[in-house]
Amino acid sequence: MWQQVELALSQSAHRALVTLANFLPGLLALLLAVLILTAIGALLAALLKRLLTAIRFDERLSKNSLVPLDWAPAHGPTLLVTRAVFWANVVLGFLIGISAFDAAYAGNSQMSFFLLPYLTHSVGAILLFIGGTLLARFLARTVLIEAVNARLQYARFLSVGVKWLVLVLTAATVLDHLEIGGTVVDLAFGILFGGIVLTLSLAIGLGSRDIVSRSLEKNVDDVIPSDPGYKPPTTSETLRHF
Amino acid sequence: MASSPTNTAAATPDTGSPVSTDLLIHLSALSLDTLEPTLANLSAAFSGQTVLVAMPEIAIPQIATSQTAGLGSVPSFANLRLLPYTPAAPSTTNWVLTASDYLNAYKLAQEHNASACLLLGPDSHTMQPESIRSLADATLSSSTDLVVSHYHLGPREGLVNSAILYPLTRALFCTKPRFPLATDLGLSLRMAERLATTAQRFTAANQQDALLWPASEATLAGYTIAETDIPTRITPHPTAADLNALLSQILGSFFTDIDAKAALWQRIRSVQPARTITEPPLPAEQIDVTPMLESFQLAYSNLHEIWALVLPPHTLLGLKRLSIMPPEAFRIADNLWARIVYDFILAYRLRTLNRSHLLGALMPLYLAWVASHLILIQSGVPPERHIEEVAQAFETDKPYFVSRWRWPDRFNP
Repeated sequence: MWQQVELALSQSAHRALVTLANFLPGLLALLLAVLILTAIGALLAALLKRLLTAIRFDERLSKNSLVPLDWAPAHGPTLLVTRAVFWANVVLGFLIGISAFDAAYAGNSQMSFFLLPYLTHSVGAILLFIGGTLLARFLARTVLIEAVNARLQYARFLSVGVKWLVLVLTAATVLDHLEIGGTVVDLAFGILFGGIVLTLSLAIGLGSRDIVSRSLEKNVDDVIPSDPGYKPPTTSETLRHF
Repeated sequence: MASSPTNTAAATPDTGSPVSTDLLIHLSALSLDTLEPTLANLSAAFSGQTVLVAMPEIAIPQIATSQTAGLGSVPSFANLRLLPYTPAAPSTTNWVLTASDYLNAYKLAQEHNASACLLLGPDSHTMQPESIRSLADATLSSSTDLVVSHYHLGPREGLVNSAILYPLTRALFCTKPRFPLATDLGLSLRMAERLATTAQRFTAANQQDALLWPASEATLAGYTIAETDIPTRITPHPTAADLNALLSQILGSFFTDIDAKAALWQRIRSVQPARTITEPPLPAEQIDVTPMLESFQLAYSNLHEIWALVLPPHTLLGLKRLSIMPPEAFRIADNLWARIVYDFILAYRLRTLNRSHLLGALMPLYLAWVASHLILIQSGVPPERHIEEVAQAFETDKPYFVSRWRWPDRFNP
């Protein structure tokens, strides 16, 4: 019996080592492809930047364009082109690396079957996460500024609520993309999203009572003949900003 | 600039009298109910002289129909030769002169060999004929390229102009027009051509309602600028009610213009002589500034981190002091306001944050300035004197702005 246990263990260790030996070259190929293409990208970007600066690309583009171009000094067309070249090389490195990783396994390999989808999906998931985070920050700022200018006392609360709505949506999308969690994610997302929406609705509803009542009072004042002794409130309505 | 044919039609009414082609009057955004008083004003202003009047073509049939039908109510404007033009599509910006107005005016002036143009904005029927005449006389004088109207507004009117447009134009471009965005202008032909060239860049990009800044254009070209008093005139109201959107539109255009002309204003340094201050009577009723102060305090507690991206620590400290100031003593120091505006322009240029966010974050600060200004004038200080002090503060702090513009990372006090 002990011999059988030993045999099973040694076979299992052998299989694990074989799998690892198969896995490592693929991983190494992926890393090498990414590193080499990143280095090439950096080199190309540097050369291109020198070339475009030498030919005064930014100035030529501004002069020859009918439409007035609106670039920030730190984000000129030269920088945009060089960055695009660099990141195109990095993405190309990933694509080549993943192909090499895929080729390192036989088509029916279990490792390839489980790992490759995660690897390819993880690139999409990272992009989704970055996009979602940026969108959340942008929307949160938009809501905060608009709410403050509309003199809503709960401006920050509203902004944070919108930010978390987008972040929760992003997280759920990323997990769904990676096929992690299954129905648990859907359920959790539904509960969280619904909860945030309900909270915001209650907050806005309760916080806007004054605005609604003022609006109603204004309508009533318009309909009912005004009291001769009534003086309209002097507010910023009598100001002319332009 | 290359000329292109416009859709001008035969003049109506055309009396056959000799036409004085010295001056072309361009009327923008003319509504049918203001047509008659506008033409009557022009007729009175130029009595005994025939002038060309360009007006939107929608208004021409109204006159023709009225006159052929023999309606007694329509007076005959024998000395006006009317030239129709196709107005730009209606937009929310038709309360000021837009790129299409400058372009139309120049094309018509060139086609009819006019030596100068008078651009009259909406509601020009509220101007006195004498005012129109003096604007025309100043324009036709050979030494002036740009004549800007100087309106005599009340102490609570034109506040954006008083807070930002006027002080900035005066400090940066060293020009004196009190109303850089005046709706009534006089242009020499070369000034009209220059503005039309600039306008064409916008209209080619289908931005018919883009704003132009004639004072800075004239300074850039080295042309002469003069002002004419327009004592009575109802300045047109913006059609859009949202102050935030209006402020973003006007200031966005203005800051872009400042950015585009950075090479010019960095090298010119001069201080404009002090204006003669007239003291209009203050309205009896006082304005409640509490909503504006509350708006500022709300913004201070919520937008502090956004302001911190734009403003240096010293300015933030000044805002902190303001946030705890009692309403009766609330006062934004002139140099603090100048630095706030300068830092916002710099952030606009550097795109420190999204530009619509940036201009939105400026609004509570502008309202705080308005509150401070109103408190000051309600205490008896003449409004024009305060506005002059603000303009002088902008002039004094111009070196700060130039330094920050040149070395935004290094120079951050």
